[in-house]
Order: sequence, then structure tokens, then C-alpha cells
Amino acid sequence: MTSNPLPVNSSRLGGCTLTGAISVTSHVRDAVTIIHGPKGCSHHNVSLLHASWLDNDHALLPELVSTGLSETEVIFGGEELLRQAIRHASGHEVRAIFVLSTCIVDTIGDDVVAVCSEEYGVPVIPVPTAGFLGGTFHDGVNNALIALAATAMPCQKDRGINIIGEMNLEYEVEENYAEIARLLSLLGLNVNLRFVHDVTYDQFARLGAAQLNILRSPALVPVGEYLKERFGTPYLPSFPHGLSGTLSFIRSVAGACGIDGQAAASGECRRQEELIAGFADLSHAPASLEPTHAGTDEILVAEELAAALDLAAGTPENNARLPVSAAIGTAGTRRMLHRWRRAIHA
Amino acid sequence: MKQIALYGKGGIGKSTTSANLSAALSGRGLSVLQIGCDPKRDSTRMLMQGRFIPTVMDLVRVRGEAAISLPDVVFTGFNGIRCVEAGGPEPGVGCAGRGIIATFQILEKFGALEGDVIVYDVLGDVVCGGFAMPMREGYAQEIYLVTSGELMSLYAANNICKAVQRLASRAKSKCRLGGVICNAKGQPREEELVAEFARRVNSAMIQYIPRDHIVQQAEVNRQTVIEYSPGSAQAEYYRSLAQRIMENTRMTIPTPLEIDDLESLAREFI
Repeated sequence: MTSNPLPVNSSRLGGCTLTGAISVTSHVRDAVTIIHGPKGCSHHNVSLLHASWLDNDHALLPELVSTGLSETEVIFGGEELLRQAIRHASGHEVRAIFVLSTCIVDTIGDDVVAVCSEEYGVPVIPVPTAGFLGGTFHDGVNNALIALAATAMPCQKDRGINIIGEMNLEYEVEENYAEIARLLSLLGLNVNLRFVHDVTYDQFARLGAAQLNILRSPALVPVGEYLKERFGTPYLPSFPHGLSGTLSFIRSVAGACGIDGQAAASGECRRQEELIAGFADLSHAPASLEPTHAGTDEILVAEELAAALDLAAGTPENNARLPVSAAIGTAGTRRMLHRWRRAIHA
Repeated sequence: MKQIALYGKGGIGKSTTSANLSAALSGRGLSVLQIGCDPKRDSTRMLMQGRFIPTVMDLVRVRGEAAISLPDVVFTGFNGIRCVEAGGPEPGVGCAGRGIIATFQILEKFGALEGDVIVYDVLGDVVCGGFAMPMREGYAQEIYLVTSGELMSLYAANNICKAVQRLASRAKSKCRLGGVICNAKGQPREEELVAEFARRVNSAMIQYIPRDHIVQQAEVNRQTVIEYSPGSAQAEYYRSLAQRIMENTRMTIPTPLEIDDLESLAREFI
């Protein structure tokens, strides 16, 4: 049996370290990312970013520069080529330059950190990203976030909240962010910084000002720990999933910020009850979950939702397959319910 | 066309042996090409009156591959021997092994790999795939190990046996071990030890070359022994080596020793 995963299920977590880092650095609007390696490494990532951004109605080309490493540099060393590329980029109006390495560059032993630490007039930030060392897409994200965080200095705290490590390539990145911002607003809290999503380099100066960091997923815990050590900011390890997950998220944020979240949680609970009531037409429908591309948390959330709707077990002849995906917050749960309704009434 | 490669520990005398072998081969009326496959680029010096010839990699670096041609990389030295140095990056940067691969591709493109005999003089150890290039399909089919009776030198030779064994197991590979050349340091029972080592790795000692001060005398005069003192006993050893290599038909897949066996072998001859 073949299954056709929804776009929201497309997991890129196992991919190349380089791609993960680019998904972060390319979101700094006034910076350039130099990929030190053969041009193909850049080409494929430009294509991927461009396609993902277009899907999110973001019609820009990422600011990526390849050093275009050739066999000559592989034999004689590529440091001079990198130096030239950084000098060239620094001559344009850029606020910072990120330098990402590739497999071949680490194989021949180019000292990327040493070249980056020379004087160019703008900050030049190396991010180790050679994929063959066994890192995943997520290691690339983490490496880039930590390299960026290291450029920010501790500062006076205020009440704002940081959003850490949004999945910039996921299709619902903006919807998920909007849901977190909505939940925070129920507690009278605002977002301090989206680290890193569509920001400018100077905004990183405010990284340490937040009273709480909210990580997109537990894979970012190393980043959360780093920020906690550097800025003393506590963190929550994940965006909320599903109905009860969203309610406990509200309580956790309130607890971490020392405010009373009871009213906000009760209000959200009523909203969820209305939501379920609005999908009463699905109750007792013969259906089962299709969890092929889902993680454990996502399956638990879907099972909770199926129980709330009182879905019936289907027969082989009469059984709707319900797609399971990440349901971030109450809004994400609503979108999944709409997909379920389409599957059941199909 | 006969293609042979000399491998052995750094400093063991590969370049001296290669240059004298090439000189002796040319004395038999053969058209010889010697290719130095070591970034140190000193393989062919004694055939070129002490001159460090420009390397293939130097020319690629300075002019670019498109701007070089066959006469730029092949230099004619003593007795018409054609000399090539692969060269490579500055020490400590880049990838010398890839430089060897690129050199072979360039020489192939120019059709430079021709003549009666090609002698490849290779870096001390097969540290990566690039330095195994001369052993690959289409290049040297006969490998000669240069070693003294010193344990570290035998250890390096044994390691190269591993590389030859691995390459020989490939379907189309014609790479075989042709023999062991004992370039003596003057230890007692050295000839016996090296001969026994050669036997145990399923090969044979093809030539014993004693230590002789005339080699140093020839080198300070920037010549091979064959050129500097053709009537000397040492020159006769090199001519004998050349003759035995040309007549050699015993090509084997080596059986490298375990390190313990190698050490106990060395102990037997102390």
C-alpha cells in the first residue's frame, strides 16, 4: 500500500547539516551566507529554500554565495578562495556574513575558523556544517542558532518571550507562530524575538532580554541549554501539541513567568469545547488513524482527539484513514480536524 | 610497455634507486619515463643535473590546466630519460593525494604515458587513495618494495603489501608484487633478513644493493651512480637490478605479515 504524505508531514530532520544551518542563516535579512564548497552544494539548497519559501508566499531568492570550490582548490587548499569570497561579500551592504562549510572542505582540512577570524569590517560567523561527519539537519539548525547566539551580549531582561528555532521550511511555519503569539497574548505576553525567522542582524542584540525562551521542538534542547547558560533565560522545550497539550502549555508559560494563568486556560478550554462541538458530524464515523509519517507525540495527540470526537472503529470496507500531523495549539488541531472531515466525507 | 612502481618508507632511498634504475634501463637502449609521485618533487633531480624541474601541479596552480601542454611537463634528462614530477600543494594544506590523481589524468590526456618502461617513484606510504593511483588499472602492474633490514622500513613495506593485496583482489586489477629490493643500511645479516621477509610475503628479493659511499659522492655531484661512475661496483648492482626487473616474470599477490610475526622475524636476525 502506498501512502501519500501531506505536505505538513514532510520531515527534513534527517537531511544534511548544511541545509539545516542554511534554513536558519538565510532568514537574517541583512546578512549573506557563504557556502564554502563546490557550487552544487549551494545550488540544491537554493532550490530547496526557494521552493519552500514560494509555498509560504515568500517570493525572494535566498542570499547565498558559493565559493565554487573546484579540483584546484581541493588539491592546493581552499582558504584563499574563501578569503576572497568573504572580502567580496563584505564590500556589499551586508550587516554580517555567515560561513558554512561542506564535506570536502573539512576533508581537506581548510581552517575555516581561522580565515573567518581575520578582519573584514563586518562580523564573519563560521558555522560548522560538514554533513559527512554524521550530523543531521537538526544539528545544522542547532549549530547555526548557537553560533548566532554567541554574537549577542547579555542585556537587561524585560517581559518579552523568545521563539527559538522555528522550522523555517515547514509549510505551516507562519500559522504555528501566529498560534503561539495568540496563546501568549492570552497571558498578556508579547514576542520579543523570533530566533531566527525573518529578522535583521541587529535584532539579535535583544536575544538576552526575554524572560522565557520557547523552543519549537525538543530537538532544540542543546540550544535552550546554551541560551540558559549564556543569558540565564529558562526555556520550555516545545510548541504545544493538541488539546490538553495546549492547556498545559498555557499553565507552563504562566508558571515560568510568575503570573496567574487560570483564566487564560479556562477560556481556551471553552474554546476547545466549542471546536469539538463544531465537528460533531464526525462522531461515530468509521475511521482509523494513519500514523505512517507521524511521531509518538503526534499520535498521542491524535488519539486524544479521536476519543474526544468519539470516532468508531471502521471495517476494512468502510474505514476512513485519518492523516496524523503536528497539530500545534488549538488552531493546529482545528486544521487537522478539517483534514479529517475531508477524509471522512470523501 | 612495462610499467613499474617503487614504494617504500620515506628516506629509504626510493628516489636514488629509481633514478639509478632508470639510468641503467636507458643504458640498455630502452625509452624510459620516470614519474615522481611525491610532493617533495626530488625524484628526478639526479637525472636532471640536480635541477628541480617544474611540477605538473606547479603549472596547474600558476597557469591553469588549460594553458599547459606536454612539453611543459616532460623534461629530458640523462641519456634521453623523460622526467615528470607530479608535485602537490604546500605542506599542510589541500590534498596531495588528489594532486596525484589529477596529474595522472593530465598525463593521460597528453598521451605522455608511453615508451618502453615507465618508472613510478611514489611517496613513502600509501596514506590515501591518491597514492595508490599508480597501482590502479592501466598503470603500474609491477610493484617493487624498497626496504632495508630496519624494522620500521620492513613495517612500511609490509603495509604496502596490504595495499597491493587489496588492489589485486579487484576484478580487473593487474597490479602484482614484482619483488623486494634490499637497499642496505649495512646491518649484519641484513640481506638474509630481507630475503626471508620477501619469501614470507610470498615474493622474492630481486636485488641486494649494498651501502656504498659512492652514492653520496654521485649525489653531491648531482648525478646518478650510473652517470658519475659507470665502472663502479655499485653501478653494476643497479644494472643487475635493471636486468632482473626486465626479465622478471614472477608476479605475486602478497601475503602481508601480522605485526607480531614481523617483529619476531626481525628478532631472528639480530
